[in-house]
This record gives sequence, C-alpha cells and structure tokens, in this order.
Amino acid sequence: MNSVTFILNGRQRTDLVADDLLLIDFLRDVLGLKGTKQGCDGGECGACTVLIDNRPRLACLTRAREISGRRLETIESLERDGKLSPLQEAFHRLLGTQCGFCTPGMIMSAEALLRESPNPSEAEIRTALSGNICRCTGYAKIIESVQAAVQR
Amino acid sequence: MKAFSEFMVLEPRTIEEAIAAKTEVSGSRYIAGGTDLIANLRRGLDDPTLLIDVRHISRLQSMDFTAAGLTIGSAIVLAELARDKRLRRRYPALSAAAAAVAAPAHREAATVGGNLSLDTRCLYYNESAWWREANGFCLKHRGVTCHIAPGGTRCWAAYSGDLAPALLVYRAEVEIADESGTRRVPLSELFEDDGAAHLRLAPGGLVVSVRLPHDPWPAAYAKVRLRSAIDFPLVGVAVAMRVKNKRVRDLRVALTGVASRPVLVHDTNTFVGSVLSTAALDRLCDLVQKQISPMRTTAATPFYRRRVAAVIVRRLVSELAG
Amino acid sequence: MSGAAGRRTPLLDGIEKVTGRARYTADLATPDALVAAILRSPFPHAKIISIDVSAARALPGVRAVITGDDCATPYGVLPIAMNEFPLARERIRYRGEPLAAVAATDAKTAAQALRLIELRVEEIPAYYDAADARQKNAVLLHEDKPGNIEREVHQEFGDVETGFASADLVLERTYRYAEVNQAHLELNATLAEYDAERDRLTLWSSTQVPYYLHLAVARCLQLEKHQVHVIKPQVGGGFGARTEALNFEIICALLARAASGKVLLRLSREETFLTHRGRPQTEVKLKLGMRSDGRITACACEVVQRGGAYAGYGIVTILYAGALLHAIYDIPSIKYDGYRVYANLPPCGAMRGHGSVDVRHAFESLVDELAGELGLDPFAVRRANLLFAPATTPNGLRVESYGLSECLDRVEAASAWRQRRGRLGPGRGLGMACSHYVSGAAKPVHWTGEPHAVVNLRLDFDGGVTLLTGAAEIGQGSSTVMAQLAANELEIPLERIRVFAGDSMLTPKDNGSYSSRVTVMVGNATLDAARRLREKLQAALPVPNSSFDEKVAALLATEGAVTVSGSFTCPPEFQGGAHRGGAVGSTMSFSYAAQVVEVAVDVDTGIVTVEKVWVAHDCGFAINPLAVEGQVQGSISMGMGQALSEQTLHADGLPMHASMLAYGVPTIVETPPIEVHIVESLDPNGPLGAKEAGEGSLASFPPALTNAIADAIGFRAGELPVTPDRILDALTKQRRNREQIAVAQAR
Repeated sequence: MNSVTFILNGRQRTDLVADDLLLIDFLRDVLGLKGTKQGCDGGECGACTVLIDNRPRLACLTRAREISGRRLETIESLERDGKLSPLQEAFHRLLGTQCGFCTPGMIMSAEALLRESPNPSEAEIRTALSGNICRCTGYAKIIESVQAAVQR
Repeated sequence: MKAFSEFMVLEPRTIEEAIAAKTEVSGSRYIAGGTDLIANLRRGLDDPTLLIDVRHISRLQSMDFTAAGLTIGSAIVLAELARDKRLRRRYPALSAAAAAVAAPAHREAATVGGNLSLDTRCLYYNESAWWREANGFCLKHRGVTCHIAPGGTRCWAAYSGDLAPALLVYRAEVEIADESGTRRVPLSELFEDDGAAHLRLAPGGLVVSVRLPHDPWPAAYAKVRLRSAIDFPLVGVAVAMRVKNKRVRDLRVALTGVASRPVLVHDTNTFVGSVLSTAALDRLCDLVQKQISPMRTTAATPFYRRRVAAVIVRRLVSELAG
Repeated sequence: MSGAAGRRTPLLDGIEKVTGRARYTADLATPDALVAAILRSPFPHAKIISIDVSAARALPGVRAVITGDDCATPYGVLPIAMNEFPLARERIRYRGEPLAAVAATDAKTAAQALRLIELRVEEIPAYYDAADARQKNAVLLHEDKPGNIEREVHQEFGDVETGFASADLVLERTYRYAEVNQAHLELNATLAEYDAERDRLTLWSSTQVPYYLHLAVARCLQLEKHQVHVIKPQVGGGFGARTEALNFEIICALLARAASGKVLLRLSREETFLTHRGRPQTEVKLKLGMRSDGRITACACEVVQRGGAYAGYGIVTILYAGALLHAIYDIPSIKYDGYRVYANLPPCGAMRGHGSVDVRHAFESLVDELAGELGLDPFAVRRANLLFAPATTPNGLRVESYGLSECLDRVEAASAWRQRRGRLGPGRGLGMACSHYVSGAAKPVHWTGEPHAVVNLRLDFDGGVTLLTGAAEIGQGSSTVMAQLAANELEIPLERIRVFAGDSMLTPKDNGSYSSRVTVMVGNATLDAARRLREKLQAALPVPNSSFDEKVAALLATEGAVTVSGSFTCPPEFQGGAHRGGAVGSTMSFSYAAQVVEVAVDVDTGIVTVEKVWVAHDCGFAINPLAVEGQVQGSISMGMGQALSEQTLHADGLPMHASMLAYGVPTIVETPPIEVHIVESLDPNGPLGAKEAGEGSLASFPPALTNAIADAIGFRAGELPVTPDRILDALTKQRRNREQIAVAQAR
C-alpha cells in the first residue's frame, strides 16, 4: 500500500492504495464515484475518460498510484453550485446523450479539448472525441452539443 | 474489480536503480504509460510480480533540440510529441506518427519508449485467458504452436508501433542502458524479426532516449486501418526523401504492421540518381513488397496489407517529390 | 392541448446522464454484494460427462457454486421454443456457453474458484455455418430438429410465375451478410438479492424486457411470480440484445438464492459479445421481375439464417424476413422460402430492424441494378411501385398511413440528386434506398388476452401527476414521450409530470422495449389514461375556466388519492393474416424511410468514406422531434457499421471479434453528417398519429451505401461488410475483365 495525496474534483485528499489497484476501480469501488464507466475490457471505448492535470486519461489503464500529486477530475466535478457546465447543459438540451453510458467519458474528453482549444473546429472536435465510442447517437448531436457549448 | 495478478510497483529515480531492480527481480517488467502493458495484463497475457515505473527518471523525461539534433527521452508522452510545433516543422513524419496512435487519451499516457517496445500483436494472442486456453494457447505465450503458421517454429505476431518507421527513416539512434552501461545504436538494431521476442535487449535493458540527426530529410508518415482512430495500423509507412533536379538524392522507406519488427527497406539507394517515373515507382513498390510478408495476424488479409503498403509508399514518395 | 407533444424535448433523465448521477446496474453494488463469475465452455459441441465443483466449493470465500444441475427448467422468449438452460445440462452447444457459476467474497476468489472446477466431456462434431449444419449426416444440435433446421417457412402470395413472365427484365442474385452484434456500450450486468426468510428475490438488470425477465426467473427458480421483484435501472442501450431474458440474468438469480444473499454479476466485453443475440449470418437469394416502366411484377426470395445454438427469437426472425418483403411497395406476387438453421455458435436475437435489414439490402440493391439495366432513375422506380394507403397487403398486413412518397421527394431535393448524380467526378457517387419497419408487433409473444399496454396515472395531495409504466427506458426516450403525451392531454406543463418506470412492484406490466412498440402501444395507453383522468377531473369540478389545481382539489376531496388506468389493445384485424406465421410482421402501423448516401471511394486503398447522408423518416407524428432525429441518426450510424466495418468472426467457434477494438463500431471520425427530415403521415392508430422512429431507417442505409459505391466505381457489393479488401478485390476483377474484353476486341 502506498499513500497518495492528490486533488480530487477540487478537494485535496490522501488515500492508501494498493500498487495494482486501477484508477477506475479506485474511483468506483473505493470512492463510490460511479459516474466513470467501464464499457470494454481495457482501453478500447473511452467510457472511463477522466482528466488528470487537465488532460484526458483512461481510468481503466491507469494505476491509482499514478495520481499522486496530481489534479484528478471526474464527471462529478463539472456541475457547480447547482449549475450544469456548458458542455453538460448542451449535451442535455441537444440530446448529445441517449442511453448515457458513453456520456461521462465523452463530456470529459470534450472538456479537455475546450480547456486547450476554446474555439475548436469541427475537425478538432472529431479528433478530440475519436477515442470515445457512442452506439446511440451517430455522434451528430454530440458534435452539435460541443459546438453549442463553445458558443456560450 | 478486475482480477489480475497482484503486482508491486517500484518508482526508481535513476537508470541504475531501474536496471538493478529489473535484473534482480525475476518476473519484473518496465512500465511507463501502461496503455499497452495494462491492457495486456487485464487479458492475462503476463503476470509480473513487479512493475518498474520508469517515468520518474528525469533523463527519460527530457526533449532537447540541439545543434547535434534532437534527443527525446523515452518517457515523453506521444501527445507532447504531437503538440510540439518545432517537431511538427522539422520532423513531420514523427509528429504525424505520434498523432496517429490510438486516440487522444491513450496519447496522453503512452510514451516514446512504450510505443517503440510495443508488444507484437496477433488475432490468436490478443485475447482473453479463457480464449487462449480454449485454443490451446500459442507459441508467443504458454503454448507451442503458432496458429498463423502451425508447421513452423517461430511466432509471426506483427509489430504495430507507429513511431518506429518514422524514426527509422530519420536515421534515428536509440540509447540503450543495461548492466554493461549505455550505448547508442541505430534503431533498427533494437528489433528482432521474432514475434515472441522482438526486442534485442540484454537483461535489464532499458530504452533511454532516441536521437534524431539535426539535418532530417523531408519525410512523411501515413497508415491504413479499418477505422480512422483507435485501431492499430494494418500497415504504416514512413518515407524520407531528398530530391535534386527531379532526381532522387536520398531515399529511405520503413514500414510497420507487416512483420514482427519494423521493416527498413533495404536497397532503396539503388534509386539514387533516378527520376521518379511511373516505372521507377513501380520498381520501388516491387522492392517494398518483396521485403515484407504480412501474415494472417489481423482480420484484414495479408494480400490486402501488402497491396496497400505499396499504395502508401507510392503516395508518400509522390507527395515528397512535390 | 398544452403543446407538450410535438416539441423538441430533452430527456427527462438527461441531467442524471450528463452529471454522472445516472445509475446503471453495475453502479448499484454495495460492499456486501458477493461477486459472481461464470465458467464458460472451451468446447464448441460436447456431451457433458461430469462437472466437479467440490474443490471450488471448498475454497474459502466461496459462497455458492452452481451448475446445470441447479436448474432443470428450460427457458426461451417464445413459449413455443424454449430450449435453453441458464447453465448447460448434458450437452454443450457453443464455445462460451455457461457451464458453472460461483459467488464469492471478491473477484479474485471467484476467478480462482472457476479454475478449480473440473470438467469432463466427450466432444462431438461442431458446425459453424448453415450449409455444414444442414448436411445429411450432421449431428443434430437438438434432437427434435431434423436437419438442424429450427424453422422452415414457405409462403407464396399472388402468382409469382405469371409475374415473372410479364416482366421485361428478371434478375436473380445471391447476397451474403456477416453476423453483426449490437455492441451496446453498457456491459451486461445483473444484481440479485435473495431474502431467504421470506423466500423472495429482487433483481436489478440491464434489460429491455423486465417483464419477460420476471417470467423467466420465476420459471427457472420455480418461484411464484409474486415472489420475484424486477427493477430496471438505467440501461446503457440495447438494440435488441436485451429483448429476452438472458442466461447471465438467471444465473445471477440462481446464485443469489444459493448464497442466500446479494450477488453482482458483471460480464466483461468478451462475455457480453458471447451472450450475443445479434443479427444472424444470412444468405439471401433474390429474384425480381420488372417491367420497362419500373413496375415490379414478382419477387422470389430465399433466406437462410445461421441462428446459433438455441432458439431465442429465431422463428420470429425468419418470419420477419419474409413478411417485411411486403408493406413497403405494391408488389403483386411474392414467394418466400426461409430456413433458420442451428449451428454451434452463440444464439442470435432480435437486433434493431429485426429480420428486415439483410433482406432489405438485397431487395434495394437488386431494384437499383434492375433500374440501371432498364435505364430508369432509382427514384422513379420506387415511385412506380408505391402503395396507396389504406391498403391491405397480400399477406394480410394493414397500411393505414404511408409517407414514403414524401420521404422520396424530401431526400431527392435535399441531396440535389437530379443535379448532382453522375456529376461528382471519379470515385464519387450517390446512392439511394428505402426501408420500413413495424410500430410494434400487433400479436404479443404471450397470448394471455391482456391488453398490450397499461399505464397508470397517479394523483395525490401534491398535485403532481405520476405516470407509472413498465415500459423500459433504455435511452431511446420513452419516458419523455409518455410524459409529453400525458401533459399534452391534461393540458399541464411537462414539469408537472413525473415518470416512474420499470419496477414490477409498482408499475403496470409492460412487454418491454422492442419491435418499436412503445411509442404506439404505451403511448396509446398513456393517452387513454390521461383522457380518463381528465374526465374525472372535469366531472369533479364541471365549472368552465376552473384551473387544474382547483379540479385536483375537488377530485381529491371526493375520492382521496386517485390512480387511473389506461390501456391499449391491438384490434384483431391488425394482428396479421390467417396463414401460418401470419402474426409476424403484423402491426398497427409502418414507418417509412428513404435516404441518399454520398460516398468517396479511394480506389487504391479500397477505403470508402461516407461524405453525407440525407434521410427522411415517416414517423407519423413526431411527439419529440429531437428524439426522432436522434433515433434516426443512431440507426444510420449502426447501419453504417454493419455496411462497412462490423462483423463477428469465429475461429472454430471462438470469437475473434469479442472486443471493442476488434469489432469495429464506427468512431466519430468516419461518421458523416446525417441530415434528418421528419415526414409526418399521421396514422389513425397512433397516439396523435405517431409511428415508430427507432428502427425503420437503419435498413435503407446499407443498400443506399452500396448503391452509391456502385455509382462511384461500378461495383455492386453482394456481401456485407464492404471492407477495403473486398473493394480492392472487386476493382482488380473489374480491371481484369476489362483487359480481357479489350484483348478479345483487339483480336
């Protein structure tokens, strides 16, 4: 077991984690943050995308220990003071989500994009979300949602 | 929670510490971003007792543009390569190769060293433990038969790293550290054409950095895959070429996805001095196709991969010829 | 009317989904839940000699181990074809079939326990394609099914022989379709809790059909139905993979009872693929006759489906394939021969566009080819064969509304077909095709005589209206549509409606979310309930201009808390023809779709890029236009996957596709812009005229795509998916043919 101190969704905390504990299991089973989803057997669908120091990372291929000293953000962090983030609001209003299972990962990938590139082209949006598989929407309304969030 | 083998993780600060741990502990593995290794561990493709996370070694984390060329630490992540504007300008083939790996979240974790030493891949290998056992395992892991070529004695799993071909055409050298010290060798010497043991490293051997010459030739990289993201290359091609007065001055071609190691096509120097006529391009494509022999390691046929390898070579050469 | 219906409406549960608060089955586990794991067969076809679980049972931390001995009752979604056991008994019929299962304190112990189970079998010959399984001396997968044929269908409507004789051109072609899978993103999962003191079982599961699951679990565990409680949490897609009770769900229930506790069973992606229930590998032999004016005179179609190892919905699938040759065009004579064949592979199921997709590709491809040969425009040919509603088809299906003509007009104009076709330059092309689908199967699986759908509206002191429905919200937006319909009818704002769905203890029984039945059937039941409530409110306070709140107060004062029930039953005249199998295909209404696809083909690499899709979908009345667009776009994307990149592949029955990497669901990069046009041919049977929206446009994508490829490079794909290697092979063949012709001409 190792002690890791990190910032989780804006709050610093310290936990003891086993070396072989994956971040997705740490989030879901230890911390109870179930918003991060598992949709494949490792690294193939993007549903578990979280942000580590503002960059998108796959929680299913990341060891919990790797977050030591870092800033970790999950889907649960985006809604602030009872207000959806611009991406969340747009995904909801424009049906960027149907079954919702890819949505947390999709929104976190889009969030990473908008932090780096506040006014992305459609091609940049497609590239940024290229690792996030959605089976419901045909992606059309996902692109519209990201574009609408940019407008705000 | 995922039930895979229990392992400990060491985070050495120096190369020496890392090598010492790797040689002392049997069943230990180096790890960096883990995008390849953890995915494989989840499928029971290995059961290391110790992972040695090399990303805390500062020498592996530096990227230096100097008069002598460019040195890239092996723990630099692919996203950083893809973002670097100088790299894009001076070594576009490497930049393009980095940007074409998997998807953005993988590239934020995957490293140069990890992509270079990417495990070879095969339809019969990248499967779950249940699957492989039901299939009698395979030569690469726990079995005796290669299901690609059951009569033979070797493993035909394909190498699929994107960076290697780009680095090969840039005449990159790789710095390797092991118990006997560090040495720099041409990148091609890192690889062996054996799907079960494709890295030529001494026990404890660690890729420290890659070094590219200061005067790269114009170069490009392109790959073919079924989907435009996530997928490994069915074929990846890098070409570096200098042309003077419409005649080839230098030409290097390298491929990935078509053998158990990245293939640097030999005898491309026979084109030096030639005009790139259709006939010359045909000859070049023949030369390439003679030197690759993709096997049934992917759902796409070997015939297809061989064919499009030539197509991409032709396209990149034409593109670089202007 | 409050106008709640017809308005673009975000999903009622969208906020939960975008904030990560939505809870799917795997999210519900608490630390006290045991972890389950399944031992799966490494053998494709074998007799079980013994399964020794004693060592596994003795392992510390193991709370329960079960095998086929623990459930001797077969199950299956069709009462006439129950031949599957949750854990194999006596015979193993496919690689990956569950043999034993354990519940343990943690995943590692469960995995270790599986390794301690000793299996002894006697292997027997296995068959992986329909032709092999149909061989004369093939071993039978099921003793009561000679020839390994689960169901043979032979139907002829009209006089096909005369029809072909009156045609100016008759063409016959054979088409082959790879098996495909739903690849819904949420992995299969079930949580089961057994209350030993009361002998009661509670189940949470990733299902589209909580009611069918309820029946199957009660049956297999030999419990009374009232001892079972099924709750459907959020479900991450289904597309037909979850329209029947599945083995893992029953296994989890058996384990919970065996362990006297709470058990969570989460399948891996590989196991989710092994559970399958996708679209079968299919061969279609199609013959069409056409007059020089484009009229289709006759159709003869033979379909062979490789259904996998168990029955599932197989009989329905092979019947749909024939029934849905009808009801899209006016075709005077149709002959259909269908063969559903068993093979040693995971069972297929009712995938989106159930039964219709592969046959529709064959039909629309051949029509396109005929049009080309006769020098006719593809749009003109479709227009020459339109139906006129109301119509009854030769096989007894009723068409009361028909917007296909308008669909054609819309996409022809939007794509600038007339101006652009043939003028796009080399390697580029435009193709079009049409499709249709049922709005719910008019004859239910269980002929109990009960209504097809029941909805309750509950009203109490808080003045909010709670809509109780068993309809499974799986992301398609059914709860939102029901709320819109109720609000509309009650003339109150949408916010005043709360939907509570999918809990057998509280919500009225519903057959579930499949065959696109929910909008029409549950929608009609919702309208019925809302009308009854409105009448009650009106009667309680028959004062003009009294407000809703005043009416509520008056009603509660006389009756207290009120629950009204509304229902819907499909009238018998819509329940299909009298011929054998005539119920399949019967429906209250059909949706129609037409689409144009633009492609660019890279003739050197064989890579096809879909540049743009224009699709028009006739959904009757669009209760939620936003969701209609979303459903249509999703259908197109799934059709694109099947057409270009997706397929299951097996090596001697072992899946080579069972990961999200290998299977090839399209990413956002290669998915084109999809322009949706909603066409509203109000249907007299639909709630406010509505019909289905979630399936009908899928089937026209693959043929529109391959017709576009034919337009671009002259190659007519007779096999899906059209992978790059197939395109290159075809181009090589073309070139050789041309060269041979040139050589011959030179001589």
